[in-house]
Amino acid sequence: MLTAEKILPRGHDKNAPQPAWIEDLRGRYTTEREIDAILTRRLGRRAGPGYAPQSLATLRAGVEALLHDELDEPFTVLDTRWLTGGASKVQMAFTLDWVEPGVGRTRTPMVLRMEPAESIVETSRLREFQLIRAMRGVVPVPPAYWVDADGSHLPYPALIYGFAPGATRPSTATSGVSGLGINFGPALRGPLASQFVEHLAAVHTFDFSGAQLGAFDVPQAGTQSVEWGLNWWARVWEEDCGEEVPLMNLAAHWMRQNMPPADRICVVHGDYRAGNYLFTEADARITALLDWELGRLGDRHQDLAYLATPVFGHLAEDGATFLASGLLPPDELYEAYEKASGLTVDPRRLHFYKIYNAFFLAALTLGTGYRIARGGKTHQDVLVAWLIGIGSLLLDEIRMLLEKGF
Amino acid sequence: MMVRPDTQLRTIIRAMTEVVLPAVDPANQMAQEQAQVVVGTLLLMAERLPLQFQFDRDELQRLTDFAEQLAGVASGGPRTSDLITRLAADARAGRDVLERAKADPAELVDTVRQLRAVAGAVVDTVFADAAAAPCRDAVWHEVLTMSRDQLLRERAWVLPQGFEQDPSSLPSLDSLLGTAAATG
Repeated sequence: MLTAEKILPRGHDKNAPQPAWIEDLRGRYTTEREIDAILTRRLGRRAGPGYAPQSLATLRAGVEALLHDELDEPFTVLDTRWLTGGASKVQMAFTLDWVEPGVGRTRTPMVLRMEPAESIVETSRLREFQLIRAMRGVVPVPPAYWVDADGSHLPYPALIYGFAPGATRPSTATSGVSGLGINFGPALRGPLASQFVEHLAAVHTFDFSGAQLGAFDVPQAGTQSVEWGLNWWARVWEEDCGEEVPLMNLAAHWMRQNMPPADRICVVHGDYRAGNYLFTEADARITALLDWELGRLGDRHQDLAYLATPVFGHLAEDGATFLASGLLPPDELYEAYEKASGLTVDPRRLHFYKIYNAFFLAALTLGTGYRIARGGKTHQDVLVAWLIGIGSLLLDEIRMLLEKGF
Repeated sequence: MMVRPDTQLRTIIRAMTEVVLPAVDPANQMAQEQAQVVVGTLLLMAERLPLQFQFDRDELQRLTDFAEQLAGVASGGPRTSDLITRLAADARAGRDVLERAKADPAELVDTVRQLRAVAGAVVDTVFADAAAAPCRDAVWHEVLTMSRDQLLRERAWVLPQGFEQDPSSLPSLDSLLGTAAATG
């Protein structure tokens, strides 16, 4: 980070980014090519209109346009309806009457997952599509059918995948917005925790070398993946924040001075927590891991630290024991993970990635959340603005971890 | 501090007009009417909130002028004289408040943000400039100390949102801001 460039002159408007500023950011924050492209695209569009509410009919027409290009046999889009899907993407459920290859004419429940004008998590639909496809047969994921990577057919970029049965929380559970702090209750925690860990181990031990992941750059062994990640989120923070936070500067410098080399590069989910998987309550079975949009190739400790992020868990009934992702104490999850994966959990790298994760979550909530809510860029501005309130907890987490040290 | 009413109002109005209002039962006239009034009130608040302080300060200015004029022209018996004396004293108090209320809230927020930006740049420089190496530990300590105090206030500010795992561990916002006596 170069100091002089970061003190923007009074009157500089981040809501109307100038090309020279965008190029300067791209030059200073080297990251994966697809991520650079996505971030550059959003800045190029930022001065444009906000999110325009879309009707089911519009989305249905977009799906039909996409499928006309993809399918040879006649099809019908039926039963369109809205799905709530957190703060980041617009989701519509529908049934497709179509001729499925190898199956014949059938009716398949599906989900359209589309970006708003700007998302609290600006990511690539192509990467998400490729990663879900790569994970098919490795862990429970819905079948990924089609992607409209640049919004050629739909109002914004989107993908279509199969509708998975289940819910993110028990029918009687309490939780905050966006799946934060879901309380599964004592009976469900054990069976969900074991699957939660086993699936993460399967993700991290998956051999991605033969997978179709063309939208991902493969980092070299060592610190390249963490440096790309740091640049990603430092860039997002600089692009979006409405006011500087000196603690973020301090954390960025600490991370750059302490980047841990990865002992192996693996698929990282990036948002592995309660609220981002579906399960069926009757048999306590995880049916689908969702929200792969933050996935990348990197260090498994990013996910391991993330699942124990304080805002994603809660205290147990004793009022003292922290349940990571609402399931088990972190140490018990890590012990089970080591057994399931055959991989070690390194406390120093966990510490680093706790700071890394809190940094990127703070960049999203305090930076992007503020920027896009002010700009009217999403279908969920009110929820995005609400989530800004988590920012101070995340910053305090950074502060405590920096004070604690390795 | 990023959790501010102007952003909140803007997003609430959008949610009401684009999501909630279209879903209100058209046959429920009271619900329709009240939802419209809610939006209208929010629009009024969003437009006027940035001017609230200036309006109050302007009002105090004019009332102070008026009180001084009134105290100068009014006279009468003991009861009237007592009230005139009191009015003159309150006008002096008004002048004192006006003197201390010169800066606009927007100017205050702008200054906060400018200080944040430059302080952040100093942190960047200290950790990039080899000549600044001897002071890095001290800068590290200052940033963490300031952050601890500031974040305690910000967490207390958003406490009602329910994100804290142990809300009782936080001091009250009043005690942190020293406003307990003023608001109590």
